[in-house]
Amino acid sequence: MFRPFLSLRPLLRLAGFSAAHNGVLPPSSAVAAAAFTTSTATNLKQLPPRPKHPPESEIEESFLKGSGPGGQKINKTNSAVQLKHLPTGIVVKSQATRSRTQNRKIARDLLALRLDELANGSQSRAAVVGDVKQKRAASKAKKSRRKYKKLAEEKEKKGNVKEEGGRLAGEEEEWLEEEEDGEEEEGKDEGGRKEVTTLGGTGTKRATIVEVENTRNER
Amino acid sequence: MPRLRPSLFWQARREISPLAAQLLPACRDLESAANELRWIREHVQDTPSSVPPGLRVWNLVEKRGKGVPLQYVLGTQPFGNLEIQCRPGVLIPRPETEAYTLHLATLLSQSQHPPPHSLSILDLCTGTGCIPLLLLHALHASLPPTTALNIHGIDISPAAISLARANHHQHNPLPAPASPPLSPSHQRTLTFHQTSIFSPTLLSSLLPTLFPRSSSGLDLDLLVSNPPYISASDFARATARAVRNHEPRLALRYAARWGWCRPEDVFYARLLEIAAVLKPKRVLMEVGGMEQALRVVRMVGRFSSLLGGDGDGDGDGDGS
Ligand SMILES: C[S@@+](CC[C@H](N)C(=O)[O-])C[C@H]1O[C@@H](n2cnc3c(N)ncnc32)[C@H](O)[C@@H]1O
Repeated sequence: MFRPFLSLRPLLRLAGFSAAHNGVLPPSSAVAAAAFTTSTATNLKQLPPRPKHPPESEIEESFLKGSGPGGQKINKTNSAVQLKHLPTGIVVKSQATRSRTQNRKIARDLLALRLDELANGSQSRAAVVGDVKQKRAASKAKKSRRKYKKLAEEKEKKGNVKEEGGRLAGEEEEWLEEEEDGEEEEGKDEGGRKEVTTLGGTGTKRATIVEVENTRNER
Repeated sequence: MPRLRPSLFWQARREISPLAAQLLPACRDLESAANELRWIREHVQDTPSSVPPGLRVWNLVEKRGKGVPLQYVLGTQPFGNLEIQCRPGVLIPRPETEAYTLHLATLLSQSQHPPPHSLSILDLCTGTGCIPLLLLHALHASLPPTTALNIHGIDISPAAISLARANHHQHNPLPAPASPPLSPSHQRTLTFHQTSIFSPTLLSSLLPTLFPRSSSGLDLDLLVSNPPYISASDFARATARAVRNHEPRLALRYAARWGWCRPEDVFYARLLEIAAVLKPKRVLMEVGGMEQALRVVRMVGRFSSLLGGDGDGDGDGDGS
């Protein structure tokens, strides 16, 4: 159950502030998504840039809070942030970290990716990243096929190759590939996100996609 | 608290891990059990130790499963961009407090044109020091270097003050002394003091040494406070067990009578009395719900003659 956990306006008015903002909370930096540095890997250059966050006026933000009291009376560790993009109805949620501030940023990154996907389809960053990942997986498979073919050939040639040697070589290759992945960051960026529900828009053409970011972003 | 269904434990064991099942009594649902287990594992991964990681995870899960707040188990609570250290004996910062402190920082850094020569802030009942620390960090980053910051936090609890100082030490955003050093008027300082806000000498001797006098009171831009505000009956009935059993009672409720108001509103009466003398430009007080908010608004009305404001939104007491 989601609902905004606190309306600050009465409090702030009491304190003599004019509540000028529309949103309850300070807007997060809209450029944060663009500010992440990209790494040196060459095929990153072909990637479309990280999409920008949509304007705060298009976002409805809510925080998970059970019913009942809040503040000093309870101590919940829930830091989940859910965003609804009003023009499209897309809903994303992040509970990746214990920090609500951090989750607000992660959820905005996620929403920006989804909107980019919606607008740019196969040319979107997520699609291109997915492509790169697919190609990488394909080349990995090819490499390992080649490797085992070679091993089999050597086995035939020499009659018997020590099992251990083969395994060692294989392990080394695996390890190198993993490091490649880490360098590019993209794999981690996309990993661990799972689609929880896909609800058809009730009576409207809008589809509501709920996504949950559960993993830490290693940026 | 309703009993958890045994099937929930089975589900936690099957779908997440036996450790998640162990967390369930404290977490109450699968999603938070899964989250907390992940955070515990990440914590163990991120902090070096000679104890094997598996054993450390197990120990932390056991502690948490027995109801110790996660923040005491892990020793921290994120607050804005800060990781505030938490220790038993000092209240854990809450998300509501985090939200308005961030909002406050934005208001303070945006609403001032031109930027002021100095900004002074007093936080009463400071606990871990989370409010003034986050304000210091945010304002340090957003205000031009020509604006001095004079920030003070006060708490009655020695445990709170020593933790607040430790947090300040860890999160000191101030750059090493520049050359030439900043003039005294451009300094940015945060200081913690251990005393009761009910102390008779607070208004007569301590506060006048911390803030320069102004024409009407003291030169103070913001008075902020998250005082103990839970009533005796709410403490017994509406307060979570983990809070009642593990967080300091001193931080949550005030039992004695003082003047004419309800016990749970005593701090607001004192805070408004302090505000009447200091005449800060702004006051922000956290309250425990709408009913208390309305009572406090009425108190503000009663004090507004003392405050000398006409309720035009510039000073205190606009909300009545
Ligand atoms: C609800 S906690 C708030 C802590 C912190 N400001 C926060 O938001 O997390 C209230 C604090 O008031 C302190 N306190 C209780 N009685 C006090 C008194 N008479 N004078 C000053 N501080 C007091 C407690 O030690 C506790 O740290």
